[in-house]
Amino acid sequence: MTSGFGRPRTTPHQREEVERLFGELGSHPEELVFSEPWEVRAFALAVAGHTSGQYPWKDFQQALVSSIKTWENSVEDLAHPAWSYFEHWVSALQEVLEHGGFVDARAVQARTEGVLSTPANRNHHEPHYDPVAIDPAVTHRTGATS
Amino acid sequence: MSNVDRTQEEVAARVKALESLMIEKGLLTTEMVDRFVEIYENEVGPQLGAKVVARAWTDPDFKARLLEDATAACRELEIGGMQGEDMVVLEVTDEVHHAVVCTLCSCYPWPVLGTPPNWYKEPQYRSRMVREPRKVLAEEFSFPIPDETEIRVWDSSSEIRYWVLPQRPRGTEDWTEEQLTELVTRDSMIGVGPTKAAS
Repeated sequence: MTSGFGRPRTTPHQREEVERLFGELGSHPEELVFSEPWEVRAFALAVAGHTSGQYPWKDFQQALVSSIKTWENSVEDLAHPAWSYFEHWVSALQEVLEHGGFVDARAVQARTEGVLSTPANRNHHEPHYDPVAIDPAVTHRTGATS
Repeated sequence: MSNVDRTQEEVAARVKALESLMIEKGLLTTEMVDRFVEIYENEVGPQLGAKVVARAWTDPDFKARLLEDATAACRELEIGGMQGEDMVVLEVTDEVHHAVVCTLCSCYPWPVLGTPPNWYKEPQYRSRMVREPRKVLAEEFSFPIPDETEIRVWDSSSEIRYWVLPQRPRGTEDWTEEQLTELVTRDSMIGVGPTKAAS
């Protein structure tokens, strides 16, 4: 064991870097608000793909803009409840990956269906009604009632 | 490709699919993604759990309902979701401390706590927390539990997801529910860290 589990491994500098990239999309860092775990994952994937050198950020930005445009043209009311900013991140990420020849749409679709047909934790379905471990008190409480 | 009307579940699956394909192609590693997730992991979700905790601290009837049936009580506050179907909340007292682990994978009540922190998924946490919880809490989390307090570790599975109701911090008797929410930390709801102190 080398390091504590609970200690942060990221630095303020990394956060600044991410917010700078986000800002380049024409958004304010304050708009970087997530409401579902997959949104953070999609966000991190797109940033990680770029920082590992797979595509220029500009390409991602263009794909994002175009996905949002397509959506806007497909709904009558821009306040349509199906709006999800990070869904466009997912579409844009897939687009740049397809464009770069890394994945093709059919492979992504097949993999997605595979994920959907696999229960989230297929090996861990039994409920556990009792503690899995008890670390008893080391000393007795002074002045306790029992 | 139209993405209107796609369900959350489908999008979440697509994200997983893209990640696994990117890793297979050697475009990135899980660690690289986790690094960016970690920046934000504390900002998704745990504020919902904090709301529930603060309500329980200020409303004894709600607390009783929460300990009786956490899923139903959370629904009262319009909190619920895919992996929150069977939640059990464990109350910390002076006599007994509770902590949560998923021994096999990373089952986690994310509707209230957001995405699991990275260490929650690590084999070291999953196995050591069961073997020597007192030591792990003191050494790895700098969160020593008093010697006279028993520690119970609970295994979350996809059937029952546990989380922890920490003790209300001292000196907050006249605090409002909203103020109290600020004191609840994610780690205190996993049982591996303190709430913030009243200041």
